[in-house]
Amino acid sequence: MGESLEFLRTLMNDPFGFLDIPVRQIITDIVNWIVANFRDFSRTYISPPVRGVMNSVQWALSSIPPGIFLIGIFLLGWWAASWRIAIFSIVSFALIGFMGVWDQMIITLSLVVTAVFFCILFGLPLGILSSRSDRFYAILRPILDIMQTTPPFVYLVPAVMLFSIGNVPGLIATIVFAMPPVIRLTNLGIRQVNSEFIEAAVAFGSSRRQILWKVQFPLALPTIMAGLNQTIMLSLSMVVIAAIIGAGGLGLEVYAGLERLNIGQAFVGGIGIVLLAMVLDRLTQGLGEKAPGVRHKAD
Amino acid sequence: MAGFRGTTEDFVEVIRAENVSKIFGSDPESALPLLKQGKSKDEIREETGQTVGVNNASFDIEPGEVFAIMGLSGCGKSTLIRCVNRIIDPTAGSIFFKDPEHGEQDITTLNAEQLRILRKRHMSMVFQHFALFPHRTVLSNASYGLEIQGRSNDERALRGQKVLDMVGLGQWGHAYPSELSGGMQQRVGLARALATEAEVLLMDEPFSALDPLIKVDMQQELKKIQRELQRTVLFITHDLDEAMRIGDHIAIMEEGKIVQIGSPEQILVNPRTEYVAKFVEHADPTGVITAGTIALPFESDAFESSGERDGIRYSHHRDHPQIRYGRDRDGRLRGVTVDDREVPMQQLEQVLDAAEGAEVSRLRDEVAITCSEGTVIRRVLRGRLHSTLPVIVTTADGRAQGLIDDPELINGILEKRGHTA
Repeated sequence: MGESLEFLRTLMNDPFGFLDIPVRQIITDIVNWIVANFRDFSRTYISPPVRGVMNSVQWALSSIPPGIFLIGIFLLGWWAASWRIAIFSIVSFALIGFMGVWDQMIITLSLVVTAVFFCILFGLPLGILSSRSDRFYAILRPILDIMQTTPPFVYLVPAVMLFSIGNVPGLIATIVFAMPPVIRLTNLGIRQVNSEFIEAAVAFGSSRRQILWKVQFPLALPTIMAGLNQTIMLSLSMVVIAAIIGAGGLGLEVYAGLERLNIGQAFVGGIGIVLLAMVLDRLTQGLGEKAPGVRHKAD
Repeated sequence: MAGFRGTTEDFVEVIRAENVSKIFGSDPESALPLLKQGKSKDEIREETGQTVGVNNASFDIEPGEVFAIMGLSGCGKSTLIRCVNRIIDPTAGSIFFKDPEHGEQDITTLNAEQLRILRKRHMSMVFQHFALFPHRTVLSNASYGLEIQGRSNDERALRGQKVLDMVGLGQWGHAYPSELSGGMQQRVGLARALATEAEVLLMDEPFSALDPLIKVDMQQELKKIQRELQRTVLFITHDLDEAMRIGDHIAIMEEGKIVQIGSPEQILVNPRTEYVAKFVEHADPTGVITAGTIALPFESDAFESSGERDGIRYSHHRDHPQIRYGRDRDGRLRGVTVDDREVPMQQLEQVLDAAEGAEVSRLRDEVAITCSEGTVIRRVLRGRLHSTLPVIVTTADGRAQGLIDDPELINGILEKRGHTA
């Protein structure tokens, strides 16, 4: 009697003492196993294309004379949104230049463009697949949750182990973190297309593929653009974190500034990121509103 | 394909639906035996939890005709039209379709590929809320079906422009649907359906979402186009007047069942159930009921003989002995006299043509107006403006059939009854 009472008391006070799941050890083992077995694979098959795209983008962007770049950003703003946005864009980029971080901005922009390129490359097809198969999306959804909510610091170190330091592991971490919105909103956009349009397409004998590309995808474009906008913002928010493992650009400016307690340098980098983020946000929003599906919501 | 539309002899009907039923729910089959027992929608829902959409619907549609299905919302008419192109799969029954390439086939047995061909080439559709693609221009909407058929760009542009011209929107090809009014949008919807040259046009309440005036415009437009193209049209509506204006035949649906099929006049004059009668009560008969239906026949006992002269027998209505109608042995009208004075005879068409645009005089002539038995009451009424004498109705073979005077007209309009009914 007394013994079982004692047992109950222990159970209530410390119910976790009975079982010890060695998660730490398990994960360490798994990561070690992955690193041991996939290091060569990732360095020969994943790094080169990512680095290749990154370098081409960076080469292209940095070969544009800054003056031409400013005019270009103005025209882009005008075309994609309005003259207000155009002025805002040119002023923001000029400010970045006047603060002396133009080159760093170009590196950051290249990182973002590269990350977004891969997010679209994989995210769009995954989003389309998700919209067509409930089962596929049911499997993908928890993975997306994990990708979005795991603190990036957690997978920063394994990324370094696999890809060594530099821009590439930073990019990989950014892609993992920023891809989910493209997938989610592509899926949502396609599923949200009004069923009357689908019915009309079916009534005229369209195949599933024709319905997707002639009706669903164009009508989902505004939503997909909203996803793209989020992806860009998320990848910008990753550049500081990526700087910790050796990615360059404005993020590095912030990180290095903080390390040396050079608050001014850190702020210049920070302001540069904010300005870049705002310009990219306004431009992609403008593009989203230009998408043809916005012209009309069924009345 | 041209021969297909021209020769009605080879094809008795384009579409023949036989006992089509659609049951919605988790186990549609369970409700089928109850349907056979003739249980009602409510009883079946109570017993099996299944919802009856369409209950044993059968009908034939002849080539080149407009077949209207009329019923209130929820009666299953939209479900039924979707069974015809299998956007909804019927639970039971067959729908036969005759097309020039494959002969007769049962639509309910087609596989996915055959279905796509059917929809691409032989059946197109117009929707209640237009369902135009908002991201495409008017021209590109109109030629959507052609795009699916795999026609070349040039052909699409050409044919798309042609159908837009046909519906009066030739200038609007580059606009987007959102820039158009509702009526114009539905014209695009119609153009899109006409472009594919499908033999069968399915129209699901195409004009219900339009303003009343635009609606009448569109009905006339459809009739005009239909005179030219002679497509076979299945037309869904909840508006009996619309069904009567447009339909060559009308099927009336109630709770998933077709309760009566007939010509507009048959339905108006002879409604088979209480439900149909209630609909008909407020319908406008003047454009539907014909002179032949309401005419008081010369053979009826209201007429008395007033003698014979030169082989022509005269008779008069017992209330109006002064007006005498002379007919020969074949029953043809040979003369009308008022107080033994011969009055001129004139055909209604000529009277109306001559009077067109002229102001109506309160002084009416004494002219014996004749009209054919198929003339609608509205035209007879108009004829009454020009003569004080009753209108004489003649049959297709030239016999004088009977008279229309005020009692016949009033009876026809108010009671929707013919003399013989």
